Amino acid sequence: MAEIEFTEETKQQVERIGSADIVVGVAGSMAPEDLRLRAERIIEDLGSGVPPLRFVFAWPGSGAEPVASLLDRPAHASLTVFPFTPPAHPGSEFWAPVSANQRAILALAASLSARACIVIGSDLGALNAHAIQLFAYAILDRQCGLAMPVYPAGKYDGLVNIGILSPLSRALYGRRIRYPLAFDFATSGAMSARLVRGEPSANHHGNPLLWPVTLAATQSPQDPVGQVHIDVRHQISTEGLELSAVLGQVVGSLFQDLETFAPQWQRIRGSQLAPVWGNAPAEERDGDPIDTRSMLDSFLLGSKNLDEVWRLVLPPNTMLELRRLTRVAPEQFRIADELWAGIVYDFALAYHLRTISRVHLLGALTPLYLGWAASYAREVATLTRAALEQRQEQFARAWEEKKPYLLSRWRWPDRFNP
Amino acid sequence: MPETQTILRKPGSATDPLWYKDAIIYEVAVKSFFDSNNDGIGDFAGLMQKLDYLQDLGVTCLWLLPFFPSPLRDDGYDISDYMSVHPSYGTLDDFQRFLDGAHDRGLQVMIELVINHTSDQHPWFQRARHAPPGSPERNYYVWSDTDQKYKDARIIFTDTEKSNWTWDPVAQTYYWHRFFSHQPDLNYDNPEVLEKVLEVMRYWLDMGVDALRIDAIPYLVERDGTNCENLPETHAVIKSVRTAIDERYAGRMVLAEANQWPTDVRPYFGDGDECHMAFHFPLMPRIYMALRQEDRLPITDIMAQTPEIPDNCQWGLFLRNHDELTLEMVSDDERDYMYLAYSADPRMRINIGIRRRLAPLLDNNRRRIELLNSILFSFPGTPILYYGDEIGMGDNIYLGDRNGVRTPMQWTADRNAGFSRANPAKLYSPVIMDPVWGYEAINVEAQQNDPSSLLNWMRNMVALRKLFQVFGRGTLHFLDPSNRKILAYLRKYQEATILCVANLSRFAQPVQLDLAAMEGMTPVEMLGYVEFPAITRQPYSLTLGPYGFLWLELQPALGMAEPAMDGREEQAFYVESETDWQSILSGDGVRRLEALMPGYLQAQRWFGGKSKRISHARVADSLLFNQNRSALVWVSVEYSEGEPETWLVSLAISFGEAANAIRQSCPQQILATAGTATRSGVLHEGMIGGSAPAALLDIIADGRQLRTRSGNLHGLPGSLLPTLRGAEPLTPRLGGAEQSNTSAIFGDRLILKLFRRQQQGSNPDVEIGRFLTETARFANIPPFGGSIEARRADEEPSTIALLQGLVPNEGDGWEWSLDELDRYFESTASVRSPATSAAFALDFAPWEAREHAGVYLEAAATLGRRTGEMHLALTSAKDPDFAPCVPGAHDLELMRDQLMNHASLAFDALKGSISRLPDDTIEAAGLALSRRGALIGKFRSLASLQDAGRWIRIHGDYHLGQVLRSRGDFVILDFEGEPARPLAERRARQSPLKDVAGMLRSFSYAAYVALTRYTSRRPEDFSQLESWARLWEVSASGEFLRAYREIVDGSPIVPASREGFDSLLAIYMLDKALYELVYELNNRPAWIRIPLHGILSLPL
Repeated sequence: MAEIEFTEETKQQVERIGSADIVVGVAGSMAPEDLRLRAERIIEDLGSGVPPLRFVFAWPGSGAEPVASLLDRPAHASLTVFPFTPPAHPGSEFWAPVSANQRAILALAASLSARACIVIGSDLGALNAHAIQLFAYAILDRQCGLAMPVYPAGKYDGLVNIGILSPLSRALYGRRIRYPLAFDFATSGAMSARLVRGEPSANHHGNPLLWPVTLAATQSPQDPVGQVHIDVRHQISTEGLELSAVLGQVVGSLFQDLETFAPQWQRIRGSQLAPVWGNAPAEERDGDPIDTRSMLDSFLLGSKNLDEVWRLVLPPNTMLELRRLTRVAPEQFRIADELWAGIVYDFALAYHLRTISRVHLLGALTPLYLGWAASYAREVATLTRAALEQRQEQFARAWEEKKPYLLSRWRWPDRFNP
Repeated sequence: MPETQTILRKPGSATDPLWYKDAIIYEVAVKSFFDSNNDGIGDFAGLMQKLDYLQDLGVTCLWLLPFFPSPLRDDGYDISDYMSVHPSYGTLDDFQRFLDGAHDRGLQVMIELVINHTSDQHPWFQRARHAPPGSPERNYYVWSDTDQKYKDARIIFTDTEKSNWTWDPVAQTYYWHRFFSHQPDLNYDNPEVLEKVLEVMRYWLDMGVDALRIDAIPYLVERDGTNCENLPETHAVIKSVRTAIDERYAGRMVLAEANQWPTDVRPYFGDGDECHMAFHFPLMPRIYMALRQEDRLPITDIMAQTPEIPDNCQWGLFLRNHDELTLEMVSDDERDYMYLAYSADPRMRINIGIRRRLAPLLDNNRRRIELLNSILFSFPGTPILYYGDEIGMGDNIYLGDRNGVRTPMQWTADRNAGFSRANPAKLYSPVIMDPVWGYEAINVEAQQNDPSSLLNWMRNMVALRKLFQVFGRGTLHFLDPSNRKILAYLRKYQEATILCVANLSRFAQPVQLDLAAMEGMTPVEMLGYVEFPAITRQPYSLTLGPYGFLWLELQPALGMAEPAMDGREEQAFYVESETDWQSILSGDGVRRLEALMPGYLQAQRWFGGKSKRISHARVADSLLFNQNRSALVWVSVEYSEGEPETWLVSLAISFGEAANAIRQSCPQQILATAGTATRSGVLHEGMIGGSAPAALLDIIADGRQLRTRSGNLHGLPGSLLPTLRGAEPLTPRLGGAEQSNTSAIFGDRLILKLFRRQQQGSNPDVEIGRFLTETARFANIPPFGGSIEARRADEEPSTIALLQGLVPNEGDGWEWSLDELDRYFESTASVRSPATSAAFALDFAPWEAREHAGVYLEAAATLGRRTGEMHLALTSAKDPDFAPCVPGAHDLELMRDQLMNHASLAFDALKGSISRLPDDTIEAAGLALSRRGALIGKFRSLASLQDAGRWIRIHGDYHLGQVLRSRGDFVILDFEGEPARPLAERRARQSPLKDVAGMLRSFSYAAYVALTRYTSRRPEDFSQLESWARLWEVSASGEFLRAYREIVDGSPIVPASREGFDSLLAIYMLDKALYELVYELNNRPAWIRIPLHGILSLPL
């Protein structure tokens, strides 16, 4: 079973409950009463099946909360709500606590032998009957091992995801998933256990973040992965955090998994479509165009200050191209897809080889990322929604086509290259 | 094992129980690596400081040479306290810290278990020599009042020791030692000794040690009248050691040091229940020989002699180690060649070997070093690196013993090579200081800063190898390009296929490879991930630079990549239970199964179509049995060329722990994943586990009939089955490595053989077995117990399985003969050469033969009698299938033409290969070619034979390996014939003299193989013993023939006249020897002298 060690109190709760059909876990602190009301509403909205599905709603709570009364008055026989004490986790910033709670929920689901586990972000945006039903459909009816969300997003939303996380995850692990790092997702019972159990042994040094797609593709490649439309716009709290810190944690974590799963991702070629169920929102807001001037300034500043670091990481041709970009007019500034993919691959390799300190390395990626983001934002500003989708697909394919470059450099990391 | 016990077993540091298959082992002496306290001797604290270096290099397991308290008269292999650390190296706490540090870095640790002997300073020995004779203390060692006991055991350290016995003035008796006289052997006939050794072992395993290398493993037990090596009692000790490990520990490994031929090492793996690993000693010198001769044959030859090992076992491969490059396992000529090629200065030689490191052996040529390492990393086994070889360290041949390859590790260009800050005079050994190999030129620090250094190259190669489990776990298949300077081989494991090509020449070489079986695949060069042109049916051309090598991963062509991945996803069968075959044997499931079948079949040992490309596999029929827990599937396989064949596949579904066990122990027997979203399982070989064999036995015993999809299955019990089976319940287990079938053994009573290749018509093994048991009442075969037949409309019945009584035996006739020959050579080694005869068989064995091989000659006569009785039993006037027939003139002419055609092809092949033959066989080959006309002319006489005897059903593939030695008699096995040939051919009537010729040729092979083995240990005896080998062969053949003739005398099955008998026999012997000639030319040119000798011995 799961390696996660719960408190005695939580273990007793699990023992008392015994088993469940679906575990819905909230990966962060919230108001328990709010959870109970929503849970009851969901049960009512879903109606009663024959036999009724046994739901357990869990959240990371503490003894100070008035939870006893909650536990004692379930409105439905098929509903159980209870708090669990989350195990300690190494990181305290940004995404690390979310991942720690997600892991704990998966472990609870495995302990309860749940047929499905649905993990929900702490803002409870996805805690509604429609989202729960969609996730359950993907897992129970379509036999998916993992269901990831597709969130509504404007053109300029989630650029770190669009620019690095999604295409890198897709190229490496062969699953066309829009959001490989998500607040909400669902797993089958077997996958819950596998994600938790497979992780620590495979990942010797422990990755603070949980990448469900990575684990599913490497630990259980035969299980289908699907996606469901979830109409939620999560507000990610990065207040007070430098962009480089965010990149450091999120991109660094993805780079770390490259090392752990090298034998697996090096054998995956091409990518598989991951079906999407549910309906996308009728209209999606793109938000206001962003001002790219400051981004470009950061890139230019970085090219002056970080030239030496970049030269340690990037091959001469890439450096030449970057230098050319510093000389072009802002309106002509454009980082080609394959150039950007190659840069990220080179940084992933340098992370693996520890060419320089990893913190400094990811810091040195930040101005490059801003340069790419500026280039991308300018390019997509005039695109229609359909054209944008097509452009993003083209962008992701460029990463796949460039993957042999990463492989060759990974396998023979000679600095004497073009 | 019950689950509770599993939980109690103490795990090692690795999570995968088969971790050693993927390991890269690094051999290091604590004293040589790094000195932390500046006393001039390396220590554990120093080793600890260098763990990051080792982790960075990428090795995964550290093998520590002995570090225990010792007088150090044999580099620590003379241990005086098993449970402590030599004070020069630190303390037990230091060791524990080092062990924890290694484990923290993901490194496993292997230590030495030197249990054949102790130091004479060990308290056990001191106590023993002072204890009274016969006392428990005295019995810890092996004592004798005479130094003549065990006189057949060779002396290993010939340079220093004159006897294996040394007089002990304290005990006033002799003590036994296989190595130095200061290393008395422990007495394993005393159970207390084994208990003490197990205590020692548990002590270190409890500390967390992951692996043990058992030193000098063949010599643990002594018995008079033997050479005291590889004895059954020694294997019993090893089994006890392994059992003790498995009882209390998980994830540990035992490595055997047995410097023997691969066939002799094979028993040290047992049935996977002795050692997990064993060194492959003979491969190492042959890699060097192949390199210097620029010819792959030394390598392919030794690998052809390397037997299959159990799935959970592994060979340990190395290029160099702390000892000399041993030349014990090579022939005389090969040893001379190696000395000339690799040890110009006599000081480089020691014992029977060369005391040099890797880089100096290869003249410091970087390409050669890389080439040999590429072979090391890509051959089937676990590579073992010797410390310092990763930076190309040199040696010092002016130091004594093997100390020249044990000098301090060269870390930097600073004083003492950065190994120690002690006064240089205080170092345990001088560092290497000459201009080429000295530490100022070759050291870790310099190479770490040099991106093109050997160290960085090694690091990249180690990392690359670790990415591919196929190198440690995959099968090996050599390709046979005409350019012998190219070594090319395929490695396969699950879905991965790697093509390795190495140029052994100092010049660029072209090569064309037959890769038609992989048509459509794209080779991707693995170091740089460079795509090569796709493979077609045409020969695949490559050019390799001097000493170049290529590792190519064969991938589906790029256009196929996406469907392939999707296809693989679909290969999982969604099934809910062990009996849910609906989604496998119907609808889409069948199509999926058929898509998976080619890959699965190619990985099965019993599949005989490996050399052909499968174009299509179709499920022709299927049957569920064993309460639907097992299935038999008839798969029709079509090839790109040649006729389709039908193969029988047995299947079962397992979940949970059972599935995990199969994944770990025999992954190649998994066909696909199978399960539901919540339950993970595998579809796998159905004979695993025992319930399917038991169900098949019941089908036979009950005479049951079952319906297949398109026919019926019939169990057909033999009349003796109730007696053979007995009343007790029998537990089945799967038999050992078989080539073409699968056997299940029920206790000590029955054996069930499942025939994989399905052909219409009765299988001769069943047909003859039933006839001989039930009609002819011939007792010298395994008694027939029953069979299972499949019957379909418009088809002849085909045989699914054969059940026989299990015969108690002392091994097959081949191994028994080799053992007897070993004793024969022992007894004749010191006797002058006998007078030999040119005949291929002597009518009466001379007294010399009777004196030295009397027991065997009697056995040969027994075998001759049994063969004659078998032939007489195989004739029946009543049964039309066994009625003899008189060959007509047309039959004899047809046979003559076939034999002459075979002979012409054989002589052509010999002529074409003559320039590549070993020097010592060229003269014989030339002589045989000069007799071509006369020899082929012998076949002409066939058509004019007045009396060729009767043609009857015969054994058809008769040789010493087809008989069992059983209670002083012989039991004849396996009437199946060559499975690759059509049934009609295997059932055809032929002259019984064909079987006789087969056995006589087998005597010839036995004599020569035993001679080669024996003289590999005593090469100086070869010429002396060759005439004795010849005498043995003609005497054994003569005794066999004489007894055979006595039995068949007067029977019409053989020519009535002596002249006619001899003439027909000579024809069959010539044909057999020519067949052998072609086989050896293609596979083992070094063995060609055996058939040549047979051909030239025949009277013209």
